[in-house]
Amino acid sequence: MSTLTSRAPGTVGMTARYALMSTRNVYRNVRFLVLTVALPLLLFLLYVNLYKGEDTGNGISVVAYLMVSMASFGCIGAAINTGARIAVERQTGWNRQLRLTALPARGYLVAKAVVSMLVTLPALVLVFIAGATVGDVSLSAAGWLTTGLAVWLGLIPFAVLGLVIGFAGTVDTVQPISMITYLGLSILGGLWFPVEQFPAFLQDVAKVTPSYWLADLGRSVLVGDGVPITAVLVLAAWTVVLGLVGIMAYRRSGTKI
Amino acid sequence: MTEQKQRRAVDNPPVGINDAVHSPDGAAVRLTGIHKSFGKVQAVRGVDLQISPGEVVAFLGPNGAGKSTTIDVLLGLIRPDSGTASLFGTSPLQAVQAGRVGAMLQGGGLLPEVAVGELISMFAALHRSPMPVAEAMDRAGITDIAKQRTSKLSGGQAQRVRYALALVPDPDLLVLDEPTVAMDVEVRRSFWASMRDFTGSGRTVLFATHYLDEADAFADRVVVLADGTIIADGTGAQIKASVAGRTISAVIPGARPDDLSRLQGVVAVEQEAGRMLLRCNDSDAALRALLQTAPATHDIEITAGNLEDAFLELTAANRQESHR
Repeated sequence: MSTLTSRAPGTVGMTARYALMSTRNVYRNVRFLVLTVALPLLLFLLYVNLYKGEDTGNGISVVAYLMVSMASFGCIGAAINTGARIAVERQTGWNRQLRLTALPARGYLVAKAVVSMLVTLPALVLVFIAGATVGDVSLSAAGWLTTGLAVWLGLIPFAVLGLVIGFAGTVDTVQPISMITYLGLSILGGLWFPVEQFPAFLQDVAKVTPSYWLADLGRSVLVGDGVPITAVLVLAAWTVVLGLVGIMAYRRSGTKI
Repeated sequence: MTEQKQRRAVDNPPVGINDAVHSPDGAAVRLTGIHKSFGKVQAVRGVDLQISPGEVVAFLGPNGAGKSTTIDVLLGLIRPDSGTASLFGTSPLQAVQAGRVGAMLQGGGLLPEVAVGELISMFAALHRSPMPVAEAMDRAGITDIAKQRTSKLSGGQAQRVRYALALVPDPDLLVLDEPTVAMDVEVRRSFWASMRDFTGSGRTVLFATHYLDEADAFADRVVVLADGTIIADGTGAQIKASVAGRTISAVIPGARPDDLSRLQGVVAVEQEAGRMLLRCNDSDAALRALLQTAPATHDIEITAGNLEDAFLELTAANRQESHR
């Protein structure tokens, strides 16, 4: 019986190990990484050309505003698409094989969320670098770090959303589902066009999306206004709700197809 | 952890003193009243099975007999609708997490886009006291394809990679779901040789197959599953005797098949070109009874049955009975 009581230590280490190995596998898929980063980066460079030097009138330059938007846009795509790849592992049956290891289910789920978070980094870092160099966005080192950290941590609900899609969808459906979710949230959340340009009813819709509050969080920290409580609460609420849905989807995925 | 694992010679009695210490109820596998349906399909309908440590058991049955579902239940991969499964006296999940169970799943997927060696190392990293990766690969005969991508493997190679994955936990119980599917004759032979070598150290093995000869050759005990229930359980020889009897072929004037099928030792009766074919599980008894009730019987021939045909017949007979 001591075999069973001695199993508590090591779970965290094993989860970390699995997260790193899986992240390495995703990072090896260069095509996937390029596709994740390319669109937000190219759009941002285009915007820099159009709006460089202009001001929003809200204490933030248009380019800085769009930098946060495009970084969020890219990161959301990376987080959702990475999670959605779980459907492929499920389809091939690799997922079942993993259940025959000492890695517990919650370790697996946490590790997969960590992978999604780590895969968002290239989009975040590259758009910020483009902002600092081509876009002339000037921030202190601490300013860059806190803004980056704010956006990154704000991605947690999106990482969980990716898992939900990965467990709820099938190989055939995850692609369209994640694409619609990714673009839908980006547009509705005002990452492509400022929410102020939306018709009134859509503005209300926008303020329910996690993407709106992700960008709000990032911009607020960027201009030095600190962490907005509303954004944190909305993002936390999304994380909790999606987490519960995710656990349900995970349980259901255990029963055979 | 390793020292706690059971290692006994195959020829020891199935339940030893040590086993009692490590598996409170003495059984490596204990399934009680397992039922599982998928929608309207009743895949498993009341399976009770106990396997003692050190036994090598074949799960024999045609496709759709419920072998894979039963295996999924005993591994804890799916929850039964009713009934309980325990491995070494604990829940399947606990046994799996303690590294006591290794399994080769049917059509079990391999992670795409990685090399075989990496895959095995990755899998080993998720166990507390795994077998050395090199040893698992060597036993499975995949050392030479370590650098190959998983997506570029032949069916037989993929099966051997799955076998290596099953060995990685250095398990006390090895569960193999149709392990030799997609293997050619040569590979199949070396697979069983390797399996024998591994189980020589007293591990418990349960393998599913639909080949009777495979079950007979490699298992101490054969459990026949059909339509989600166990219809026979015994040694290979016993199963063969009950499943694959002989056929008496004779001209039996005035006999009706219905009457003949009631004779002792007769399982089924067919008519063929003026002759009666009596499929028997005890041809001696059947012949005695036949000559007693129909002394005019002539042109008697007795032939040994084809195992596969007889096996199919038995499962078909069971099906008819259960629909009555």
